[in-house]
Amino acid sequence: MISPAFASVLASGRAQFNGRAAEARRRFPALDMAAFGAFLHDGVDPLVLAVAAAAPERVGGVTLAAYDMALELVGHGLAGPAAKNPFLNTVWRELAPLFAPLLATAPVDVLGMLSNAAIHIASVAGARPAQWQAGMAAVAPQVGSVAQLRAVGQVLAWRAGVAHFRQGALAAADTLPPALALAAFDEPGAQWPQVHAQLLDYPWRGNAEGREFGSFSGLGGDFGTPPQVRATNDGFIVRSAERHYLLVADAYGAVLHSATAQEYEQATTGMPSSVRLDGATVHVGARSIALDLPAGDIAIAANAHTLAITSPWTHAIRLLPLA
Amino acid sequence: MPSFNLFQRLSQAPTKPKAAPVARQFDVADLYQGPIALGAEGETQARPFDEKLRQAYFWIVNHAIISPHYDIEYNDGPSQTYSVGDSRRTLNLPSAQSYSSFILLPLLTFATRRKCLFVGGPGRGKTASALLMGVLAGSTVKEVKRAMQHGHPQMTVADLLGNPLPADLVNAQSMDDIRIAWRAWLGMRVKIVDEYNRIPTRTQSALLTVMGDNYAEVLNHIYECPEAAWYLTANDDQGGGTYQVIEALRDRVDVTVQALAFNPRFLNELLLRVEENVRPEELVPPDIIFTESEVDQIGEAIRQVGIPDAVRRRLEFFASQFELFETAGGQFEYMTKDTARLAGADRGQAQAADNGRDRLKDLGCQTLNGISVRTLMALMIYAKAMAYFRGNGEVALEDLRQVLPFVLHNKLQPDPDAPFFALPENAAYRSDRLGWLRRLFDLSNDEFNRLDLDRDDPVGVLSAEFDLGLDGVSERETLARLNRIEKLIAERTKGRKLYGPLYDDLLKLKYLHQRYTNYRSWLRSQ
Repeated sequence: MISPAFASVLASGRAQFNGRAAEARRRFPALDMAAFGAFLHDGVDPLVLAVAAAAPERVGGVTLAAYDMALELVGHGLAGPAAKNPFLNTVWRELAPLFAPLLATAPVDVLGMLSNAAIHIASVAGARPAQWQAGMAAVAPQVGSVAQLRAVGQVLAWRAGVAHFRQGALAAADTLPPALALAAFDEPGAQWPQVHAQLLDYPWRGNAEGREFGSFSGLGGDFGTPPQVRATNDGFIVRSAERHYLLVADAYGAVLHSATAQEYEQATTGMPSSVRLDGATVHVGARSIALDLPAGDIAIAANAHTLAITSPWTHAIRLLPLA
Repeated sequence: MPSFNLFQRLSQAPTKPKAAPVARQFDVADLYQGPIALGAEGETQARPFDEKLRQAYFWIVNHAIISPHYDIEYNDGPSQTYSVGDSRRTLNLPSAQSYSSFILLPLLTFATRRKCLFVGGPGRGKTASALLMGVLAGSTVKEVKRAMQHGHPQMTVADLLGNPLPADLVNAQSMDDIRIAWRAWLGMRVKIVDEYNRIPTRTQSALLTVMGDNYAEVLNHIYECPEAAWYLTANDDQGGGTYQVIEALRDRVDVTVQALAFNPRFLNELLLRVEENVRPEELVPPDIIFTESEVDQIGEAIRQVGIPDAVRRRLEFFASQFELFETAGGQFEYMTKDTARLAGADRGQAQAADNGRDRLKDLGCQTLNGISVRTLMALMIYAKAMAYFRGNGEVALEDLRQVLPFVLHNKLQPDPDAPFFALPENAAYRSDRLGWLRRLFDLSNDEFNRLDLDRDDPVGVLSAEFDLGLDGVSERETLARLNRIEKLIAERTKGRKLYGPLYDDLLKLKYLHQRYTNYRSWLRSQ
């Protein structure tokens, strides 16, 4: 059963809502009305309730916006019980109600941004949607405008593993009030200018261990054969099984994009003078890191901040901070 | 809250994705790109115009004109083909983005401001398609409809161009005092003449002036028309209209597209329109409306698209095939079909006197005429427009191959008595003119390849040498070049039959010889 507040809005505009559903069925022939009904109950009702509590006079407008958007999302197979990824359902049910005051003023923008972001993050292999949701929930009380919501969502998406958003997210963070920016980085006691400068200078800030990326495609990983890696300014160009990728990595995550053979040919090999390979041990300046790889045939590529280590014996790429 | 726009959705850019450039830029705003359309954030980026053109194309094919005929086929690697029916015709599944000529060619006409003729039976979307082009130019549906000229048997020049004001006719002391009420359509950026083959011959002549010279004249008063794209429609372009279309008017048409039959498998689309009571032309998204300046810029960009030498050579070779008519002229330069046509010579008799060339191999035997300069220019413009539409900076051979049949449709007349059409496998080309023209171009390219002209083109080498200029060329060098030309002519004419390309090569060599001869005379006079 849906809440009385939601039921009352639906009943008052019954003909209009039915008309919109009929129109959507023409546009999305695969639209399952049962799934749509379930999403209304599971995803729309909680946020209508939240808006009813925060701004009762805006319930009608919010319901209409949410109803149309729900039709579109269920029609695309992105929401509802049969959704390919349930994260969007979770965002509507659990995260969107936390932004009720903002929803009341700009329902299309807020719901649209949250929905699109949820779909985007859920589609990035290696991203951590749950972390993004938790981060957004934590800062929700401090978000006072759509612009702030936009920026804080971008920052938290980066922190949730969407590594290629680094530059844009840092620029977005600069538009936020310092307190909110620091909250987005979970460093409430720090000084924003200092944090910002460090983040800008060093992609591996807060992560001295680096990360391991990739595994065999037969086991659900990314690479069909052990990868070969070359460095570029943006990241690393990876070749595996006749396919090429751009690997972008930093302290928060690693993301793979498509690349071309030409880019691979143009990328550089070799390592900086501060790096030395001794058997299965890598020496980076004063640090020595023992690799759990057979000695010999270990390949190393490096850009300004990161060392990428590959071996013909593994499908994984070890990414180590250079500093 | 806007309702769902069933008909106003645009394809997501880019409609023709290309390989990402090497320098990468990731946009954090991508986080909020998705199925939900958000309000503009003041960050709408200007789309390149070729992308806008593609969006217009895809909107029209997806939402406006139901024309699921992908007859402009591009392939990227091997494509799947099937032989179908008793005639074993080929059904090809193109492996790259392909297009419907009925939409694309009119759109390219819009972008290049040329003239397009729609042919086909009634009710197949000819007028609707022309109307859409008017709306793309920023006019309302009402304006376009009111400005559209409907050909009819009583149409006068005044109906077409405008009337003198009656009061002025009575009071005027001179022609200059008579003001003319010009018809509104003359000022439109998209001009539509519906059923132009029903216009009386005299009125067709007035139309010809507007089409050809872009001005209208009534009682010594001139109306200068703006640059415009023209769309004409005809149910039957083979003489089935009320009046015969005058040759010159037909020649002004740059491209002809045929409205193909409606596929009843798409009846649901019609049903939707009936149920929703919508007319797509009234729902053209504002994002694909082009301003006058945008069309100017597109036209400029299209002209900048390059035609590589290799592609141009193939077009030269193709065009060379058709003008030669050996028995028509006594003098070398006059051995052309046009000579025979001007003289009203009996073609059959002239052909009977032909000297035993391979009439199947000679592509020139398949046509009654050659290709005019205007047609060649239109061909190059449309090939450029096609390359531009596909997001390329250079014309590919396939671009030329795809537009060629539509440009030559009304221009290159087939000779139904040619042996080529007597072969059973070519019988369909008697009625399928587009297919025949495409086949003609393919055969020409096969011959080009057989002669290995890409790599071995001595006339091209001599021509390129001449194009470098004569400044500083010594008399000795001039004589050497003259000698090379004479030797080449002797070599090329030794025991060979005369075919179109050879005829044009010989004329080119004669031209070069003449230029060098004049230059040598000048050198000696110094």
